[in-house]
Amino acid sequence: MNLDLALDTYVAESRELLEQMEEALLAFAKGDCDADRVNAVFRAAHTIKGSAGLFGLDAIVEFTHGVESVLDRVRDGLVIMDPVLANLLLECSDCMRQLVDAAGAGDTGAVVEEAPALRQRLSVYLGEARETSCAGARAQPPARVAGSAGDWHISLRFGRDVLRNGMDPVSFLRYLATVGDIVSIATLADALPSVEEMDPESCYLGFEIQLCTAADKQTIEDVFEFVRDDCQIRILPPSSKAADYVDLITALPEADTRLGEILVSSGALTQAELEAALASQSDCDQLADVPGAQEATATNRRLGEILVSQEVVREPVVQAALDKQKQGREAKGQEARFIRLDAEKLDRLINQVGELVIAGAGIGLAAKRVGATEMLEAASTLESLVESVRDSALQLRMVPIGATFNRFQRVVHDVAQELGKDIGLVINGAETELDKTMVDRIGDPLMHLVRNAMDHGIEQTDVRIAAGKSAKGMLSLNAFHESGSIVIEVSDDGGGLRRDRILAKAVERGLVAPDADLPDREVFDLIFEPGFSTAAKVSNLSGRGVGMDVVKRSVGDLRGTVEVDSVEGRGTTIRIRLPLTLAIIDGFLVAVGKSVFVVPLDIVEECLELTPEARAETSGRDFLNLRGQALPFIELNQLFDIAGPRSPRENILVVRSAGRRVGLVVDQLIGEAQTVIKPLGAWFQTVKGIGGSTIMSDGRVALILDVPGLLEHVHRPASRREVLKSAA
Amino acid sequence: MAKTILVVDDSASLRQVVGMALKGAGYDVVEGCDGKDALTKLDGRKLHLIISDVNMPNMDGISFVKAVKQLPNYKFTPIIMLTTESQESKKLEGQAAGAKAWVVKPFKPEQMLSAVSKLCLP
Repeated sequence: MNLDLALDTYVAESRELLEQMEEALLAFAKGDCDADRVNAVFRAAHTIKGSAGLFGLDAIVEFTHGVESVLDRVRDGLVIMDPVLANLLLECSDCMRQLVDAAGAGDTGAVVEEAPALRQRLSVYLGEARETSCAGARAQPPARVAGSAGDWHISLRFGRDVLRNGMDPVSFLRYLATVGDIVSIATLADALPSVEEMDPESCYLGFEIQLCTAADKQTIEDVFEFVRDDCQIRILPPSSKAADYVDLITALPEADTRLGEILVSSGALTQAELEAALASQSDCDQLADVPGAQEATATNRRLGEILVSQEVVREPVVQAALDKQKQGREAKGQEARFIRLDAEKLDRLINQVGELVIAGAGIGLAAKRVGATEMLEAASTLESLVESVRDSALQLRMVPIGATFNRFQRVVHDVAQELGKDIGLVINGAETELDKTMVDRIGDPLMHLVRNAMDHGIEQTDVRIAAGKSAKGMLSLNAFHESGSIVIEVSDDGGGLRRDRILAKAVERGLVAPDADLPDREVFDLIFEPGFSTAAKVSNLSGRGVGMDVVKRSVGDLRGTVEVDSVEGRGTTIRIRLPLTLAIIDGFLVAVGKSVFVVPLDIVEECLELTPEARAETSGRDFLNLRGQALPFIELNQLFDIAGPRSPRENILVVRSAGRRVGLVVDQLIGEAQTVIKPLGAWFQTVKGIGGSTIMSDGRVALILDVPGLLEHVHRPASRREVLKSAA
Repeated sequence: MAKTILVVDDSASLRQVVGMALKGAGYDVVEGCDGKDALTKLDGRKLHLIISDVNMPNMDGISFVKAVKQLPNYKFTPIIMLTTESQESKKLEGQAAGAKAWVVKPFKPEQMLSAVSKLCLP
């Protein structure tokens, strides 16, 4: 339809109306106000707005709506037309003229600077309740059941006055046929009286209709919009629809909503049906209020029962809505149990608890030194209380990892499509809790591992079928607690790591001696070397050789470790092990010379005495015989260059990290202590083997050993040495 | 033969656009610029539907509907009133007068067509 010609008419017409409006407003400004003029001005605004809607000139509709509303109130005597208002409306008419001119020039999206300010000034004249927004009428309809076609049953009884109202029943039936296929139609003439009594201007007919359509209930009801007041209409959805409604109701967001609202928003009930049912409910209530009408109380029924008995909604649908309502109320109750708070406040509390732990230990030490029984007892009570406060405080920071895991559903879906593979995701242990900071920081490394597993781990469908595997690849994310740490696994059932290829690559890059005989784990660990990639070609997702080392570093920053398990042809599991918390750990104190070090207790396996005989046995090499197995060891006094006489009795602390066991040679074993981790200053961040510091109960500072970092530091020169040796 | 619709509104551009939409859908259109003018078009010709605005000079929509209902030839002709969302009372008044169908202004041409086809398909 070409509206250009009509638009010219509109612009001309609106200009004329604006002139009339201006003339009347000027009269008002002089105090000359009469009802006819007010009507004329209102009509002008009304016409400008109404026609603007036809052309989709929303800016004009919206602005003029405010003007029209104020004028409507003037007409109703709610607002008095004084010179101030007249001048304001004159400014408004100027604004309307600008908008109309812009529309005439083809600029439908024109913005007039003054418009918002004018609208603001107009709003003063509008009672809040009266401000009906144009936009409100265009609210988005909620999602409704539609789609699958089915046989609807429509039961229609036309009112007597339908014909007198100018309505032709047949025209509605014809229009109904444009909404769907009328499968069958039965005309009911049982209300037809004898010929003598019949009034030819009255309608006596009823219809029972089977309609096959994919349209929703509202659409069908809208067909009868203009006769609804005169008719009895009952629209019963196909029985197959009941299940759809139940599904939709179950999927609605949880909120404390009324039963009727739930049913309407799912489309099982239309607003008009709801109002009718509520009206019949309140009729019952009124009856019940009449004294003596005891029996009537029995008819005071619930909305759900009314809807079912009137056959407006099927019972399972009502039941589903009731369940949803209950769920919503419960969710609201749950919500009331939670407090949202600033993470910074929590961090401050944890810090203070840390200080409390240190101070508490100081008191314990002082009590021991004084030796007063009463004080010792008080100190020990204090200590156990502080410990439980610490645990509770740390618990506050714990959040389930589920939310992080669930994000991967979408990632897996999207990446699988991108790669053209069929991959499913299984999540286990979503309820496992870990420190909020860790949850935040583990997302990126996990993302990398997941993408890597999908791109390089899981094979193309044809390869999988050829290998006798299911066509669909499976990726799983698991989380669980294991001996004081949290384990997160990313597993795939793909091709596994190619040991030979990794080894060849490592030899090529000079990381490993050509004849070195390495255990699987050490070979697999090579994939964490910076720039190490065996991917034949670089893809969008991975294979650039950046990533695995970054994963390892990120996990290391969280004081965690990464391990790889892989069976060629069967799949790969990458295991991330994280400490429970970042703030406070149970530590094991050891002394070397005058220095004290803390080793995280969870990695300590055992303590041994390093007897002079055992040392003699090592004959200068840095490993010893531990019950028949070689145990490499590190002498901390050499490593940290601690001067001073050697202790006559040395000890070995056996620790396990990333699947390797190592002995740490120390002078003295002090024992367990709660350790509040204090980060190192920026200058010392790069020092290998030291993860942080802590303040001991006597006020001295102890360094916390970063055992994985220590092992790396100690091992790398050794393996390089080997490489050099073999090269020579 | 095409069905005939009388469009009554004081806005020429509205009549023009509604007329174009209705003609495009296969109806014949007769126009009236207010109630008084429209009554002169009720000269015995066959009308299938009347669309009338409420606010018009000379004779408003409500009076026009009441007048139509007095004419034996046209008292069964369906009438669509054009109301605005702020005029709930006018809508009820119109319904009482016998105009049971309505379209809320501002509307798009296709909204008007859907209301018209409920009462008479072309």
